Amino acid sequence: MSGLSFEARPGEIFGLIGPNGAGKSTTIRMIMNIIAPDSGTIRFDGAPLSEADKDRIGYLPEERGLYKKAKLGEVLEYLAAIKGAKPALYRPSIDAWLERFGLSEWKNRKVQELSKGMAQKAQFIAAVAHNPSVVFFDEPFSGLDPLAQDELLAVMVELKQKGVTVLFSTHIMEHAEKICERILLINKGKEVVYGSLADIKARYGRNAVQLEFDGDAAFVADLDCVESVVSYPRWIEVELKEGADSDALFRALAGRLRVRRFETVAPSLHKIFVRLVGGEDAQHV
Amino acid sequence: MSRLRHVIRHEFRLTAANKTFVILTIIGPFLIFAVTVLPSLLTQSPGAVASGKPLALFGAPPAVEQALAAAFSGMGIEVEHVDDAAAAKDSVLDGSRIAFLFLEAGWPDGGKAVWYSKSGAEIALYSAASAVLEATAREARIVESGVDPALVAKVLSPPSFEVIKLDKRGVEKAGGNNAFVEVLLTALVFVMLIYMTVLLYGQMIGRSVVTEKTSKTVEIMLSSVKSRDLMFGKILGLGLASLLQYAVWISMAFLLKRLVGPLLGLSLPVGISTDNLVWLVVFFILAFFLYASAYAALGAASEDEQHLGQMAWPLIMFLMVPLVMISALVTNPDSTLVVVLSLFPLTSPLVMFVRVLVSSPPVWQLALCIALLIAAVAGTAILAAKIFRVGILMTGKRPTLKEVLRWVTVQ
Repeated sequence: MSGLSFEARPGEIFGLIGPNGAGKSTTIRMIMNIIAPDSGTIRFDGAPLSEADKDRIGYLPEERGLYKKAKLGEVLEYLAAIKGAKPALYRPSIDAWLERFGLSEWKNRKVQELSKGMAQKAQFIAAVAHNPSVVFFDEPFSGLDPLAQDELLAVMVELKQKGVTVLFSTHIMEHAEKICERILLINKGKEVVYGSLADIKARYGRNAVQLEFDGDAAFVADLDCVESVVSYPRWIEVELKEGADSDALFRALAGRLRVRRFETVAPSLHKIFVRLVGGEDAQHV
Repeated sequence: MSRLRHVIRHEFRLTAANKTFVILTIIGPFLIFAVTVLPSLLTQSPGAVASGKPLALFGAPPAVEQALAAAFSGMGIEVEHVDDAAAAKDSVLDGSRIAFLFLEAGWPDGGKAVWYSKSGAEIALYSAASAVLEATAREARIVESGVDPALVAKVLSPPSFEVIKLDKRGVEKAGGNNAFVEVLLTALVFVMLIYMTVLLYGQMIGRSVVTEKTSKTVEIMLSSVKSRDLMFGKILGLGLASLLQYAVWISMAFLLKRLVGPLLGLSLPVGISTDNLVWLVVFFILAFFLYASAYAALGAASEDEQHLGQMAWPLIMFLMVPLVMISALVTNPDSTLVVVLSLFPLTSPLVMFVRVLVSSPPVWQLALCIALLIAAVAGTAILAAKIFRVGILMTGKRPTLKEVLRWVTVQ
């Protein structure tokens, strides 16, 4: 990691994005004071992060794990208690979260009896049960089925609405795109791009067209006005060369494809990511 | 501090609520009873074991029968004259008689004397019978040979010899012939107790640390508590559990001594005294903290439980030395080698404890031993905290000794 500097603002959803091995988890571990940075500071509310601040932070580590032999309820209460929360606060909170994720009947069962998906949710509860004002989720969606992923996205938006600052890391751009206000894209430990999603999109791509069609669009990539093409299952996204006009593309398509949708768009985060991080790394995405 | 308290409470609960712990706490006193009380029960009062069953006797001359009856009545065992040897054997087999003593015609000069019993293990009983037979036979032969029995008695009477244990406060305790066995037994029981509990709890701590790594709970723990609090929380939590166990055991020992002992008319081994029990706890605590810190460091530097087991061997060796040497320690508690071992921290808790039990080591040696132990505990704890801090986050590979040394030196 080097020369990384960013801030998350109170009450926003901030995405830490990068390919595998980019240093996302390392960054979060440094913020959590689990490992110490060689240089630089981590500030919380403007002051250097102290041990006491950790109480106000919830953490979902990338490496998931809870005490397997203990009962789920006891583990959650213990993890909330070492965050300095009072039983009167965390007990109802734990019950509410268990209810929310449909885990109430597992409260008195041992952690090792939980399925993988349930354990994931349990770990998420462990991060939020003490009502933190800031939460860090390291790859919160990994290992979850699509339904659970949507559930988690909804919960993260709810947390934000309650005024909680949500930071999360992911290498899945769609998740970041759905809920992030601002992002930091890193690669090989260095900043690639940082700012609000809207700004980044504006900066990197007035010049893209989403195209839905019938027929073979292989020729599109070879057109003079086209920089690159990303294929999605139902459409393609065409990035135009600088200075090229979308009209030129439209004219070039006429008669060769049956166009069902032609829409100039800001490029997807995925597209920006691929362009910025480049060929080799992009394959991991 | 409050975090440390939570970790301690959690680790204590995790340990004390465990089935193994409960079972061990409950059966511990019975084991101690079996090892300490039963042998003295057997040697001092065999009658209590025979539970009023009579001894069958066949073919003994009247004088012999009388002498046997007198000897066994003292142990609460009646001697029954029988005429049917086969029936007498059966009565031993069906358990209605404790044993059957058969004297062939012509005994003592021609025939044999045979002791029949189910187990052949009631050494106190048949050695008593054998002694009576020997005495009566000798007496008969002396009378036959015409020598004056009074003269023979005078020649053969043993000169006076006594074993007396001196202690610091000037109290003299008559040891008797069993003194050595008893001291050895008491020392063995206490040393075994410390050895087993220190090993058990040390391994529990090592495993608990490794589990923290392998179950990957460590990151979420470290996001809330300092690694130092996590380590000491584990050590203190398990330490509390072990002290609870000791408290239960010691209360049981006192209960045995105060209530059960007098009830059965037994004097318990002198080793179970308040002084010795205090020393037991003191040396246990010191040994516990020393080995617990070492195990925590080993756990943090291990890849998995198997690796921990391999790395812990040198440590266990030190713990075993006093156990292997117990007989030498008891017979020679103030030899140079033993004094050195009783000052060297890894062996000193057990060795010095044995010395306290069997002799009276100089106060300066005791003080030096405890001071060295406390210094070793502090040093090990500081070292362990450093290894723990880095090692706990290292997963998936076995660190080399060089790496571990680097962990200790990084700031």
